[in-house]
Amino acid sequence: MRKLAINRLLERAVDQERATRFVTRHGSPIVEGDRATFLWVGEADEVLLRHRVQGLPEPLTMRRIPHTTLWYVSIDMPKESRVEYQFEIVRGGMRESYVNDPLNPRLAHGPFGASSVCAATGYEVPAWTLPDPESRPGELVPAELQSKALRRTVRFSVYVPARFIPLVHYPLLVVHDGDDYLNYASMKTVLDNLIHRGEIADLIVAFVPPGNRLVEYANNAPHARFVARELVPHLSETYPLLGTPSGRTLMGSSFGGIASISTAVRYPDVFGNLLLQSASLVFTDIAFDHGGGAVFDPVVKFVNAYRARPRRVADRIYQSCGMYEPLITPNRSMATVFREAGMEVRYREHRDGHNWENWRDRLREGLTWLHPGEQRFVYE
Amino acid sequence: MTTVLLGPQRFRQTAGTVADALAPDGPVATVTAGWRDREKDDAELHEVMGGRARNLHLFTRLGHVVRHDPTFAAAASVYNRSIDEANKLYKVRLSHAMDAVYTILRRTARQDLIDSALRAGVQSVQDIDAWYVWLTAELEDELRSVGQVDSSDVIAGHRGEVAEILDSSALLAIAGGHVSFLMRCLRLFEAFPSPDLPVVGWSAGAMVLTDHIVLYHDKGPAGVQPAEVWDRGLGRVPRVIAMPHARRRLALDDVHRNLVLAHRFAPARVLLLDDGMQVRIGDDGSLPAEARVVTAEGTIATIEDEASASEDCAS
Repeated sequence: MRKLAINRLLERAVDQERATRFVTRHGSPIVEGDRATFLWVGEADEVLLRHRVQGLPEPLTMRRIPHTTLWYVSIDMPKESRVEYQFEIVRGGMRESYVNDPLNPRLAHGPFGASSVCAATGYEVPAWTLPDPESRPGELVPAELQSKALRRTVRFSVYVPARFIPLVHYPLLVVHDGDDYLNYASMKTVLDNLIHRGEIADLIVAFVPPGNRLVEYANNAPHARFVARELVPHLSETYPLLGTPSGRTLMGSSFGGIASISTAVRYPDVFGNLLLQSASLVFTDIAFDHGGGAVFDPVVKFVNAYRARPRRVADRIYQSCGMYEPLITPNRSMATVFREAGMEVRYREHRDGHNWENWRDRLREGLTWLHPGEQRFVYE
Repeated sequence: MTTVLLGPQRFRQTAGTVADALAPDGPVATVTAGWRDREKDDAELHEVMGGRARNLHLFTRLGHVVRHDPTFAAAASVYNRSIDEANKLYKVRLSHAMDAVYTILRRTARQDLIDSALRAGVQSVQDIDAWYVWLTAELEDELRSVGQVDSSDVIAGHRGEVAEILDSSALLAIAGGHVSFLMRCLRLFEAFPSPDLPVVGWSAGAMVLTDHIVLYHDKGPAGVQPAEVWDRGLGRVPRVIAMPHARRRLALDDVHRNLVLAHRFAPARVLLLDDGMQVRIGDDGSLPAEARVVTAEGTIATIEDEASASEDCAS
């Protein structure tokens, strides 16, 4: 197997001019087979790579090539994996964090800003996440609801499919972190494309953003009451919905996953399906320190209580988690708990992290399983 | 009774030639209800049929009935929901039964025990299929009685017009598309061709001419899924399961899956209809020598090759 580009560079003496030529030629990161080499150029006392990959030392210390301003580190990068990363630069005792890779134009966006992306061999942005002029666009209708449970006006958006016919009854999907799913996971484009291709059913989708997310999503009774007893009845009055649990799905990622499962636990008769992406299913057993800080306390309490008395709260759960997330272990464990509680669980892991592009890339598999479209009926 | 089943027409159009051969003169009744809201975009089909096409417009008629017959509309809404729920229950039963069959196929044990378990496993799948066909027929009867289908003036008016067109046509041509809408439209308006009327159907149009409509898509986003019985067909082509787009939609390189498919639907034959395929059904309902089927051994062969292989085995 051919040596890595960085090792070929190091076979001979490297001066600044040669290092510059190397960077110009390769950019960063350099993905070669199952390895990726990250580069950073500049004066610094220390350069660290922050990657949020479970199992790798965090952060990774980059090495400087003597007599140059080029820093590098190489890591394993299994096929089809995707890693979001940033640099941390230390100069004169000052630390500059969250620095994106200036040599890499590829960025992923999220509510806390953008991160650089390293995509391994074989990873491609799925075509169904990109705008397709052939797909008839659905409509995003602004809506609001005065919630007694939450004591505030909740503003949200409702996706209405392009071929909406008032005579037909539609399944309902309620999305936690609705604005983020629209902005960072291209979810409207995904719905347009998957519906157009007949891969998922025509759906009515409520994209609901949180108020105080860390409170409302952490097993919060008012939030659950809002979703089950205010939002769903309101949507049922406004749109022709199937009106059965099997025709309703509640979804969310991270804390939104906890909001979904905890709402289902409180109101097990409402949603027949759950779509949980990297849900923050942190629990403790003999230990007390869950490592998540105070915001996780109510989450851990909820998950521990559920594990002590698992019960069926939906018919089907599509559950996914990135292999590089710290949440991978609790998600693996909970998939078994959910299954043994009598629910049909489709659990999937992918080589990705706790981020919106991972959640975007999993939408097709989750939605086609929970709400398959008409593709199986169409033989042109 | 003349019936011809064709493969998909998108890339290799043979429907016009077949129509000319079956009925050189006279009007051709066409059904494009499977195209749903594009039902009337049939200028190209009209041309292919030599300008002789008379579209039955069954999907448009369905829309008219739903708008003008509230009793039927309400019953149809309940029916759709019930079918959806019944199908979900069917799929739960089916997936477990199919898993059992494949698990047995992978097991190592005394061969006669495996064979016995397999026969029983396939029988269970057949029982589930039969139960679902019965269940959907019950729901269909419920729709007919609650929706007052047979006493509706609106529906009767359409049935009369459809029958008139069919009676004066030299051929019925049924295009593909959404097989469920297509079958329901044919049934609602009793667009049942008489034995004397030659019929050609392609893709979904071929599926509805058989006893049972079977859905399948091994290459969809959800991966390989069990084929599912969906509905009864018109029964004009008995003991055949028509599978258009076979190469595109079926994992035909999986011998175990093929084998289960063949045994599950036996004594019906699993007929593969790919682009350019043309299958003229014999008067006794038999398939021609060149028809490609899934054999009991899980291979793909023509009827002729299959017969030769059987003779070789016998000798």
